[in-house]
Amino acid sequence: MTSTASPQPRFVPGQPDMWAFVLFEAFVFTAYFTVYVISRARDLEVFLASQAQLDLSVGALNTLMLLTSSWSVARCVQAAREGSFAAATTNACLTILFALGFLVSKVVEWATKIAQGFTFTTDEFFSYYFFLTGIHFLHVLIGLLVLAVAVRELRDPARRSQELVETCATYWHTVDFLWVMIFALLYVMR
Amino acid sequence: MTGALLRKIAWHWRHDEKRELWIGWWTLVVFYNLYGLLFFAVARTQPPPQPSLGHAEIVEWFAARHHGLIYGYAVVFIVGGATAIMNATLAYTMRRMSVSRAFAYSYLVIYALATLPGMLIMGVACTVGAMRPDRDPELMSWLYDFAFLSFEGTMGVFLIGSLVWMLAVLLDENRVFPKWFAYLNLCNALTEVVVAPAWIFKSGAFAWDGTIAWWINMVVFVTYTAVFLTLLRRLILREDFGTGPLPDLAR
Repeated sequence: MTSTASPQPRFVPGQPDMWAFVLFEAFVFTAYFTVYVISRARDLEVFLASQAQLDLSVGALNTLMLLTSSWSVARCVQAAREGSFAAATTNACLTILFALGFLVSKVVEWATKIAQGFTFTTDEFFSYYFFLTGIHFLHVLIGLLVLAVAVRELRDPARRSQELVETCATYWHTVDFLWVMIFALLYVMR
Repeated sequence: MTGALLRKIAWHWRHDEKRELWIGWWTLVVFYNLYGLLFFAVARTQPPPQPSLGHAEIVEWFAARHHGLIYGYAVVFIVGGATAIMNATLAYTMRRMSVSRAFAYSYLVIYALATLPGMLIMGVACTVGAMRPDRDPELMSWLYDFAFLSFEGTMGVFLIGSLVWMLAVLLDENRVFPKWFAYLNLCNALTEVVVAPAWIFKSGAFAWDGTIAWWINMVVFVTYTAVFLTLLRRLILREDFGTGPLPDLAR
C-alpha cells in the first residue's frame, strides 16, 4: 500500500515557538505602554512640553528605515521560498543595513538629546523615552544576530532551513511592530 | 488517605529509579512556595517598600515587621542550602541536552552566586536592622538601602542565567525542552535588564518598587517559574536515562 499522505499544513510561518515569543513580548510591551499612557495622563503638561523637544522627522526616518527593513526581510522569505537563495541573501543583508542605519540614527538622536541637557533623569517623559527606545534598541541588537543566523542559513546549501529563515523574519517583524507602537506613543501622540 | 499517601511515597522512595530527580523537583516546588510565603507574608520585604522613605519612616518600617524579619529570615537561613539541590536539578536539564557541559557548569556557578546577594546578604541586612531597632536612624537607612540594592543586584545573574538556558535549549537536539521555552528565557532575560534603572531612581515606575522595575517583572518571573517547573516535571516523566533524544510523554 502506498502512502498518499500530504505534508502537514503549516498554520504560521516559521517555528510556532517563535510566535510564543511574539505573544510574550506583546504582553510585556502592552504593560509598558499602559504604564506610560497612565503616567502621561497624570502629568500631561510636562509630557507635552518634553515631547515637543523630540524631532518628529527623526522618528519618522527611524520608522521608514524599519518599515523598509520589514519589506526587505519579507522579500528575503519570498525569494527563499522560490529557491532564489542569492536574492534572499541580498535582501537579508539589506535588512541588516537598514537595522544598522536605525541603530546609528538612534545613537545620534540620543547623543543630541543628552547634549541639549535631556537625560534619563531629566523628567518622567525623558525617562520613558530613554527606557522605551533603549529596550527596543536591545531588541534590534538581538535582531542583528538573528539576521546573521538567517544569512548563514541562506549561504550554506547544506544548512538551509526555510523554517529557520521564516523564524528569523518573524522576530524581525516583531521588532518593527514594537517600534511603530513606540513611535506613535513617544513622537506622534501629542 | 494519609496512610495511602505515605505508602505511595515509601514505594517511590524504595523503587522509583527517578527518585533523585523527584526529590530535586519537589525541593524546587516547596522552596519557591516557602520563599513566597516568607518574603511576602512573614518578613514582608516583598513587594519592596519605597526607596524614597526618610530615616524616621525606615525605622518605623523595621519596627512594624520586627518579628516577621527575625523569624522569617531564621527560616530562610535554614532552608537556604536547598538552593544547591535546586540548582543541581536545573543544571541536570542541560546535562541531559546534546550541548557542551559548559552550559550546566556556568549555570550552576552563576546561580550559586545569586543566592548570596538575592537571599543571604539581604536577609542578614534586614535581620541586623530588626535585631536592634534603637540604632541610629542613619544606620538603619544604610541597612535598608543595602538590603534592597543587594536584592536588585541579582538581576544581572538572572539575565545571564536565562541566556545560558536559552542558548542550551536552542542548540539542543535531544528535545529536552520545547524551543518556545528558549524564547521565554529571552523574554525573562530582557525584563531583567529593565531592573537596571532601579539603581538610579528613588521613585516612579523605574524605582526598585516601581511598576516597570518590579511589578511587571514579577509577573513575568512568576509565569517563567511556573512554566519551567511544569516543563521540568514533564522532563522527569519522559526521562529514559539515555543520551539521545527524549521520548514523548506517554499518553
